[in-house]
Amino acid sequence: MNKDRPDPSKLLTGPSEPVESRAGAEPDDDAVFVKRAQSGDLRAYDELVIRHRGRIFAMVRNMIHHEADAWDLSQDVFVKAWQALPRFEAKARFSTWLFRIAHNVVYDWTRKRKIDSAGEFNDEIFDRDQIDPMASTAPAENESPDQSMEHGELRVKIQAALFKLSPEHRESVVLKDVQGLSYKEIADAMGCSIGTVMSRLFYARQKLQALLKDEYETR
Amino acid sequence: MNTKPDDETLALWLDDELEGDAFSSVEAWAAGQPDQLAARQAIREWRGTMSAAIPKAEEPPYPEFFNSRVLAAIADLEKAPPQVIDARVSWWRSAWFMPTAAAAGMALAFWMGTRTSAVVAPPSVVEVTSASPVVYTPETGVRADYFASRNADATVIVLDGVPAISDALDFRETAAVTPERDADSTASHDGNPTSEVTQ
Repeated sequence: MNKDRPDPSKLLTGPSEPVESRAGAEPDDDAVFVKRAQSGDLRAYDELVIRHRGRIFAMVRNMIHHEADAWDLSQDVFVKAWQALPRFEAKARFSTWLFRIAHNVVYDWTRKRKIDSAGEFNDEIFDRDQIDPMASTAPAENESPDQSMEHGELRVKIQAALFKLSPEHRESVVLKDVQGLSYKEIADAMGCSIGTVMSRLFYARQKLQALLKDEYETR
Repeated sequence: MNTKPDDETLALWLDDELEGDAFSSVEAWAAGQPDQLAARQAIREWRGTMSAAIPKAEEPPYPEFFNSRVLAAIADLEKAPPQVIDARVSWWRSAWFMPTAAAAGMALAFWMGTRTSAVVAPPSVVEVTSASPVVYTPETGVRADYFASRNADATVIVLDGVPAISDALDFRETAAVTPERDADSTASHDGNPTSEVTQ
């Protein structure tokens, strides 16, 4: 850990600049909080966690579809991000950098699960068919009850179809069509070329639309 | 621009990621390409469907507890004493050590192979007898004779004065079993034995 950083236990109770933004706020001024966090300000980092935990949790949950594991893994993402924060150079957006860490955390976890299951690839790690529309997590955006019900049903169908894709295809769809990242940002997050992202996304969308054919055509 | 853009540029245009001059030129080309315009519209609708059905962000359950766990984990990390790297063991963990050791091992094995092949050549009787053999006996007063046969390519050592070996001795516990060789019953005593007597 960076030895230049002050004792975090003191920072937790010590004076700090006021925290204004909350979860869901546009992280335009992440740079300010990142800079403070890099100098050891744990309150600033706490604010960054508040800002980004929703997107990271949603991304991880869409990848592994296991809420409790997604909760733990999302925390791992932020702990690892804190450890790597001194090396963050702000060449990319902080959120893109977090997605890169989330990608690594999810794949490390999956690899470990595969080893634990005696080397057999278990795609149910990503699937499980445990789609729970009554999960305690709630969408951050407010919807009318009708919209919510309609989207809830569609969500279940889309997620069921998503988990029939390979992890790489699923991640490309989640990052592009759900998270709204650019091709360049997805390539950075997944550690591959833009061309690879384009190819994965093309085939992933094709397969997903085929799986959702009935649903997609009636809309 | 009325020339078709390359695949990457077209993919960026289809996903509304082009800007500036690049966007303008592809847009001008696409004006005469109804299938491409339809494809872009389909992708826009697809993205709209996906983003409406699956939320971009979801607050994790117990969000305050979520944050407190992150901060507690960080505090634990900060309190942990710095890992002391033992200089005695760190050198062999370095990236260059294993390849270097492997290369050195291969070179040594090759060198030993060349030495072994030189030893394998059967020595002549003259060479054996002209050398000064060192005969080891565990006890004094034991006479050792050895007989070398060029024809049989064999040497026989005779120890005189060694006490009789008890039948109760279990050789399996003390002796290594060597692969059987074809015995040459034609080996003969060709001349006076060369002998050494140890004191």
